[in-house]
Amino acid sequence: MRSKESTLNKAPASHANPLNAYPMKEHGFIDFLVITAGFLLITPILSVHRVTDFMIFCIFVMSFDLMYGYMGRLSFGHMLFLGTGAYGSGLFIRYVSGNPLLAIMAGIAVAGLLGMLLGLIIVRTTGACFALINLAFNQIGFFLVLSPLRQITRGEDGFGVSASKLGFLNFGSRPIMFGFVLFCLLLVFYLLKRLTSSPFGIMLRSIKEDETRVRFLGYNTFLYKWLGFALAGSLAGLAGTLTALNYNYVNPNAMDVHSNVGVVFASLIGGAGTLYGALVGGVVYMVISNFLPIYIHRWEMFLGFSLLIITFRFRKGVWGYILSLWEYGIKKRLLRRSTEEVANR
Amino acid sequence: MLEIKNLDVAYGHAKALHDISLNIETGQTAFLIGRNGAGKTTLLKTIIGLLKPLKGSITYQGNEISALSPEEHYLKGLRYVAQEKKVFSNLTVRENIEIAAYASGEPVDMALDKITSIYPKLKDFLKTKAGQLSGGQRQILLVGRALVGEPKLLLIDEPTQGLAAIVIEEIVSILSGLRDKVSAVIVEQNLAMVNRLADRIYILKEGKVAREIVERSEISDTRGLEEYL
Repeated sequence: MRSKESTLNKAPASHANPLNAYPMKEHGFIDFLVITAGFLLITPILSVHRVTDFMIFCIFVMSFDLMYGYMGRLSFGHMLFLGTGAYGSGLFIRYVSGNPLLAIMAGIAVAGLLGMLLGLIIVRTTGACFALINLAFNQIGFFLVLSPLRQITRGEDGFGVSASKLGFLNFGSRPIMFGFVLFCLLLVFYLLKRLTSSPFGIMLRSIKEDETRVRFLGYNTFLYKWLGFALAGSLAGLAGTLTALNYNYVNPNAMDVHSNVGVVFASLIGGAGTLYGALVGGVVYMVISNFLPIYIHRWEMFLGFSLLIITFRFRKGVWGYILSLWEYGIKKRLLRRSTEEVANR
Repeated sequence: MLEIKNLDVAYGHAKALHDISLNIETGQTAFLIGRNGAGKTTLLKTIIGLLKPLKGSITYQGNEISALSPEEHYLKGLRYVAQEKKVFSNLTVRENIEIAAYASGEPVDMALDKITSIYPKLKDFLKTKAGQLSGGQRQILLVGRALVGEPKLLLIDEPTQGLAAIVIEEIVSILSGLRDKVSAVIVEQNLAMVNRLADRIYILKEGKVAREIVERSEISDTRGLEEYL
C-alpha cells in the first residue's frame, strides 16, 4: 500500500453526496406520527368508512411495492392474494369461528401459503413472463371461486361476513375498524421499513438491479425471491381480510383481475420502491377512482392518459419528485453557505 | 491451484475457445492478453461457471468445477470482477460492501475496514449511492468487494479499461499489494501493468493459447508482447 495519498483519494468534494450531511430522519415514531396525522386530517373530508378503505388499499399497494418496487418484479395478478385473504378469513368466520383475529390470521396464512406454493413456479421467471403468469393464476383463482367452488363460496353472489365481538374489537363499529386498520397499516409500514433496510431488503434491491451479479456473490437468489413473493402475498392477504371485515361481505370482485390495474397505477403514481410512495400513490389513486367518476363519465380514460404521462415524463412518481425537491433545496442551501463562506474570507 | 485442460467452449454453434490448457499456481498472478475476440472474457466466464464447456476440465484445488454454478464458485473462494464496472448503483457504497460481507460470513465492520484500508477515501462515500461514484472508484469498490471473505482466486476482466492513467496507477498499486496473498487471473491490455504484476502470461489468439510466458525477461519485453495486441 502506498503511503502517499493518491489522486483518487483526493477526489473532488462534489463527488461525495452532500445529502449525507442532512440524512433523512429514520425514526419510526416520526413516520407513525406523519402517517397517522395524514389519515386523520383527510378523515373529516372523506368520511371514516372511505378513509378506512383507503388505508386497506395502501396496505395492498405496499405489499405490491415489495415485489415491484423493491424486488423489481411487476405482477398483473396480485389481486389473487387479496382475494385469497378475503375468502380465507370470510370462510373461516362462516365455517369455523367468528373470532376476527383468528380469521385475520387464517386469511394471511392462506394467502401466504398460496404465495409460497405459486412462488415455486412464478419466481423462476422474469419480465413479461412473470407478469403474465401471475395474471394467469389470478384468472384461475377468480374462476375457481366463481364456479367450481361455488358450493362453498356461493359463486357470484358471495356471502356475508359477520365477525363476533372480541372485547373492544367490534368490527361493526366504524371508528374501531378505522383504528384497527390504521394500526395494521402502521405495523405493515414498520415491518417493511425494517425489512427493506435489512440484509434481506438489500438482497431484494440488489436482485432488482442485477440478479446475475448477486449470484456471483454466492447467493441463492431463488430463495430470496421466493420469500419476497410469499411475504408480498401474505401482506396482500392481510389487505384482503381487512376488506372482508370492512365490507362484511366477500364476492369474486375481491379477486377480479381487472382490479390489478389499480394497484399498478397507485404504485406508479406514488413512486415505486419507497413506502411513502406507496402510501401517497394509494391515497391519490383512491381519491381519483372515488371522485372522478362523479364528474367524468369515462374516468378510466383519464387514468390511461395519466399512465402515459407518468411513464414518459414522471417516472419517479409523486414521492420521488418530493424527494428530488428536498435534495434540490439542500443543494441550494449548501451552495449558498459555501458562497457566503467565500465572501466572508 | 487452477488447472484447465483441453477446454472447448462455444456460443451456440460458434466455437469460441479451442483446446485451451493453462495452469496457475497458488499465489501467482496470471494475465490473459490478446486482441479483441481472442476469447479472454469467454475463458473467465467459463472458469466462473457462466458458460459451460463443450469438453475439457477446469480443476480448482484438485476439484472439478466446470459444472458448478456462480454461487458455488463464490463459496469456494473464487471472485469474479466483470468488465463493465457494474456496482449495484441504487445501493449505497456501504450496502454494496454489506451484501458481500453477508455472503461470505465476514462481519460487516471487518469488511469495511478491509476495503477502506485499501482505499481510505471510500469512508467519505459510504452513504453515497454507488451509481454516483466515478469509474475508478467503482472499479476499486468492485475489487475491494471481491476481497471480502477469504478469496483464494480473483478473476478480473480488464480492470483498467477506460480509466485515466493516474487511476490505473492506483489500481496497480492495490493489486500489487495483493500479490502472493491471493492468486489472480487478470484480462488486461495495459502492458505496463502486465509487466509489473505478471508471474505468468497466456497469449490468446483466435480462441487458442498462442503462447505461454513465464520467463521474467519475456514478461518485461513489452515490445515483444505488443505484436499480440
